[in-house]
Amino acid sequence: MSWPAPRTVRRLIGVLILVLWEAIPRLGILPELFIPPLTKTLNVLWLDRAIYAAALLVTLYEVAVAMLIACGAGILIGSVVGGVAGLRRLMLPVFSSLYAVPIVILYPVFTAWFGIGSESKIVFAGVYGFFPVMLSTAAGIRTIDEQYLLAARSMGASLPQLIARVVIPASIPTVLTGLRLGGALTIIGVVVSEMLTSANGIGYLVTKNRTTLDSPRVFAAIIVILALSVVYDIAVRFIERRTLVWQTAGRGASAGPTRALPAQASA
Amino acid sequence: MRGGALVLVRLALLAAVLLLWEGLPRSGIVNPMLLPPLSDVLDALVVILGRPDVHHALGITAAEVVVAFAIAVPLGTALGVLSAENEYFGEIFRPMLFYVFSIPKSIFLPMFILVFGIGFPQKVAYAAFSTVFIVIMSASAAVESVKAEHLLVARSYGATRQQILRRVYLPSMLPILLEALRISMIFNFTGVMIAEMYASRVGIGRLIADWGENFEMAKLLAGVILLAAAAMAFNEAVRSLEARCSTWRA
Amino acid sequence: MQYMAGVSGERAGAMKAAVDVRGLSHVYDGRDGAVPALQDIDLTVPAGRFVVIVGPSGCGKTSLLMMLAGLRLPTSGTILCDGRPIAKPDPARVGVVFQEASLYPWLTAVENVEFPLVLKRAPRAERRARAEAMLRLVGLDGFGARHPHELSGGMKQRVSIARGLVQDPPVLLMDEPFAALDEQTRMTMGHELLRIWSQTAKTVVFITHSLTEAVYLADEVLVMSARPGRILDRITIDLPRPRTYQMMATEEFGRLRERIWEQIRTTP
Repeated sequence: MSWPAPRTVRRLIGVLILVLWEAIPRLGILPELFIPPLTKTLNVLWLDRAIYAAALLVTLYEVAVAMLIACGAGILIGSVVGGVAGLRRLMLPVFSSLYAVPIVILYPVFTAWFGIGSESKIVFAGVYGFFPVMLSTAAGIRTIDEQYLLAARSMGASLPQLIARVVIPASIPTVLTGLRLGGALTIIGVVVSEMLTSANGIGYLVTKNRTTLDSPRVFAAIIVILALSVVYDIAVRFIERRTLVWQTAGRGASAGPTRALPAQASA
Repeated sequence: MRGGALVLVRLALLAAVLLLWEGLPRSGIVNPMLLPPLSDVLDALVVILGRPDVHHALGITAAEVVVAFAIAVPLGTALGVLSAENEYFGEIFRPMLFYVFSIPKSIFLPMFILVFGIGFPQKVAYAAFSTVFIVIMSASAAVESVKAEHLLVARSYGATRQQILRRVYLPSMLPILLEALRISMIFNFTGVMIAEMYASRVGIGRLIADWGENFEMAKLLAGVILLAAAAMAFNEAVRSLEARCSTWRA
Repeated sequence: MQYMAGVSGERAGAMKAAVDVRGLSHVYDGRDGAVPALQDIDLTVPAGRFVVIVGPSGCGKTSLLMMLAGLRLPTSGTILCDGRPIAKPDPARVGVVFQEASLYPWLTAVENVEFPLVLKRAPRAERRARAEAMLRLVGLDGFGARHPHELSGGMKQRVSIARGLVQDPPVLLMDEPFAALDEQTRMTMGHELLRIWSQTAKTVVFITHSLTEAVYLADEVLVMSARPGRILDRITIDLPRPRTYQMMATEEFGRLRERIWEQIRTTP
């Protein structure tokens, strides 16, 4: 007997989830309060599409700016801290101890300082994404094979040439990993902060509708967020596939699942 | 730069940060309403550490953390080991697992609230939910890390399943399991904090959120320092344990 | 054309030693104090010779090579290459081939070979032509557009050799270039290397652990001692050229191998 391919099974599970999502509330197995039927949720999403679109726009804006901060600063500082041996030995242990702290406890501080508008979300999500990107870039910079530099030196490369023609191309897989990580985390950071204290954004819609026990609208917002994460993930995978030539360098940037996943992904 | 010098430089940096924290608000460069001077925050820390309601809140939070962990770890380990031992099962679920990590799990909080209401079970359930996935992944990775060759050698010497478990799997997996424990706890603690800050009447997360809303900045920052210290202490404790078990690793 | 050292034919007749090392010693700072790595190395390699250095692990052969390449400075002693001192890497005089091919994965094979010329800002057409000529020389004609991950271990090393030769240096240094290859590929590559060498008349300094490889390839084998590395013996390999696989089965071959092993084994 041959088992179906794992991929097929996954797809079947996906379909099953959708079917159950519709059937379970309609059949009365679980109250509609807990989980409204899928069709009802989608219907409500369509009816209120203007509201959701406006909220999504706010969320996207926050994500974009926060991503710029988290990835930009993360990659830059990560390269410097990781690349300069003295700095690395000095700062890296400090940073990796700090990352054990749940950053969400800083959110009340940010709301007190920046208000409940987009600024606090951007700052929070920026910090949220910054640490993992910085740490993974710092780690990745070190995997640039010493041999590459040695070979280039043996060919008489000057320092600017070393940086431009060896270090930078060799860092691209690391940078891409940082971007993938940072992006996913800033989305998480924005959503969490919008759910907590906010006046706008998709996360806010989740909270607002929950307090009015409007389950279909809560789930509609959840669907939008899920769609956002999935689309981002697909987009990044697409880019990663295109840059395979650098990836197959073999000197991987990731060193195992537990190391590759930052705590911030728990949110 | 050698070890001793490194520590000194770090201490110096810390001292500089602390001095700024004290000086900037006091001199008025930074609004002391927003960032109280360090001494005020430390005073507040002493105060809150003495308050019974804070003790109560800390107790509740600690309980949530422990119970959630106690649920997530065995459950996740079982699923993780299963996923590593059974290739088919693993093949199906591994990609799904990776997806899960890029989804904001906090969006499921409302569901937990709808089902459990607001209270201890809801927070524990949510925290366990946020933690279980990383435990699954770590356990799976730990099992896979046991080198096939080591197993082959043991089997060729006629070791029983029990002996293989004790003498090959366990020592091989121990450092990784400790690291997994450490990281899972970070996820767990984060989950508990989010649940408390989102919808809870009690717990330290709730307290600091309230202090924030009421602009009681000194207490808020004191609470943040307290929690940060606790998190880091646990982290370093497990890390040193890991280091002691890892002497044989390359 | 100032980035190329000139046609190798001119070198063949030169009386100057290609590599001349006098009194080279090196001491480095270890964790517990000064460690003597190399001790009083005197070494003269006439132009066009194939010299192989063998020695136990850690004897400093790689350090020696690094200094010949100008990548490291010895604590004392002089190194002359082509009559002039080497103080920093000079790919027009000395080409280096490392154990790990260290090709850049984001460049194609031909781009990897022309990399040294890119560093010298040579004009595009000339460097491309030169790189392709080198690829032809090492037997990889037509593989220029491939990326390293599409090449086998042996092919990667060929590209590495082509890269070392692209500026036509009179001296080629090779640090255990075939160590990461399986035995059969090693034998093929050794044979190929001899062919390339005979067509280009370079001076080669080759490091290896393998005694068979040493005897097969060399005009002269230098046996180094364990740390601190000293030259224990210079053994001339009188086997006729071109070398063939059949020679490996001869008594003469076996005796030479034994002699080298004896030296390494018995010296403390």
